[in-house]
Amino acid sequence: MSVLVQTELLGRRAIRESLRTPEALAPTLFIPVFFLVVNFGQAGRIFPSDSTPFLHGQTYAAFQLPSSLLLAASFGSAALYLVEDIEGGYFDKLRAAPVSRSALVLGRLIAEGAKTAVLTAALIVIALPFGVTIASGTAGLVLLLVLTSLWGMVFAGFMQLIALKTRSAAATNSGGLVFFPLLFLTPNFVPRDLLTRPMEIAATFNPVTYVMEALRSLILQDLQWDVLARGFGVVAAFGALMLFLNVRLVRRYD
Amino acid sequence: MNALAIEAEGLVKQYRGRTGTVDAVRGVDLSVAAGEVFGFLGPNGAGKSTTVRMLTTLLSITSGTARVAGIDVTADPDAVRRRIGVALQEAGLDPRQTGRELIELQARLFGSSPAEAAGRAEELLELVELTDAADRRIKGYSGGMKRRLDLASALVHQPEVLFLDEPTTGLDPASRLGVWDEVRRINQRGTTVFLTTQYLEEADQLCHRLAIIDDGRIVRSGTPASLKAELRARLALSSDPTLDEVFLDATGRTRERVAGEVQEVGA
Repeated sequence: MSVLVQTELLGRRAIRESLRTPEALAPTLFIPVFFLVVNFGQAGRIFPSDSTPFLHGQTYAAFQLPSSLLLAASFGSAALYLVEDIEGGYFDKLRAAPVSRSALVLGRLIAEGAKTAVLTAALIVIALPFGVTIASGTAGLVLLLVLTSLWGMVFAGFMQLIALKTRSAAATNSGGLVFFPLLFLTPNFVPRDLLTRPMEIAATFNPVTYVMEALRSLILQDLQWDVLARGFGVVAAFGALMLFLNVRLVRRYD
Repeated sequence: MNALAIEAEGLVKQYRGRTGTVDAVRGVDLSVAAGEVFGFLGPNGAGKSTTVRMLTTLLSITSGTARVAGIDVTADPDAVRRRIGVALQEAGLDPRQTGRELIELQARLFGSSPAEAAGRAEELLELVELTDAADRRIKGYSGGMKRRLDLASALVHQPEVLFLDEPTTGLDPASRLGVWDEVRRINQRGTTVFLTTQYLEEADQLCHRLAIIDDGRIVRSGTPASLKAELRARLALSSDPTLDEVFLDATGRTRERVAGEVQEVGA
């Protein structure tokens, strides 16, 4: 049986798992919406659409939406379900079957990507009443869904590494908090060229910056291929790294 | 019963911890004939589960060799996985799936088509008498139902060798007898069964041959009858000893010491 079929089977199972625990999805949607509403409410009047060039005619909510999307994509529960599988013995059951180690990792990650796509679509719909439009059109909307989902998979891969290494729900949960400093070391509130010098340097070294800028370009402008290339490049590089490290860890898992 | 289903020579497992190296298994030799029910007995922490995990490819082998169904466990673990069924001490189930979904997924992962997997699930759920609960989520199953489902999931691909690690621990007497019947039925169909247990009566009832492991080493092996006869002769007893007495003699324990140890209490 091919790796693809095994990945699909395990992915379906992971999606079923998420659908059967809808309560786990509530904070994943609520917290990003909360951040969007609060940040827009606090800074919307400081950055009016008609006199703020970096908004390209949209409201400040459109500038803030990528932060909320990345936050939602980084709240995935895949790694916590993995810890449950490890603690309950189901992970060993799968390891004792002739299942490709890549499929064991990818199944969950692909399910996480699909879940993130649905959450992203929901967040975009929620943002519409705040005057947000997707300036890059239908193609841009598709790219927005794809890029956010890929980031969701990358971060879920990072969380799975912690889960596989520590086999502890508490440690895995704590590991997820790493995203907050990464999120706040980006051009989260204003573009990079308006940041103070130390923050600009930090944002330049932070890979999340490039994903955020790519998402933001899709919301505020027409397709900006150079910005998109950087964003997709970051998720491709980190995605490959996470996949490699996860598969290696599963192979060496004792 | 000529071909060997399991062979191990000098099997060693060491763990490196903060306080140094711990020897969990210290050179185990095993040979289990095809078609046997082989019992692997030992006190808590003796190395039973570690040995099973090495034989089932779940744990790396520090040194020594192991062949299961004629295949080297280290050289070709995937080929071993295709030939073995595994039901570990902790019933490895996903509580959010239904019994049917779990069996069908397991069958698909072993290469069955969707139609074959559905048919196999029906057959196995009937075998372990879970047809009525098949479409309920596993989290609502009792301990006995979970054990039976775990056993069924280990049989989806009709394995040559079935590893059962303490399959009746924590079960009530009725459920335990149910699992014993299942093990006999599986064995009668030609599957070799490697069974670890702490219950000596279980080993006496089910196993053709057994080995007792203590402190990572095999200290006795043979048929239950031969082990009893050997102890009777050695101690010049007037009647055959029980397997409990064989076990206590082999592990250097006394009834007083065992009674004083902390015992696991099943719910």
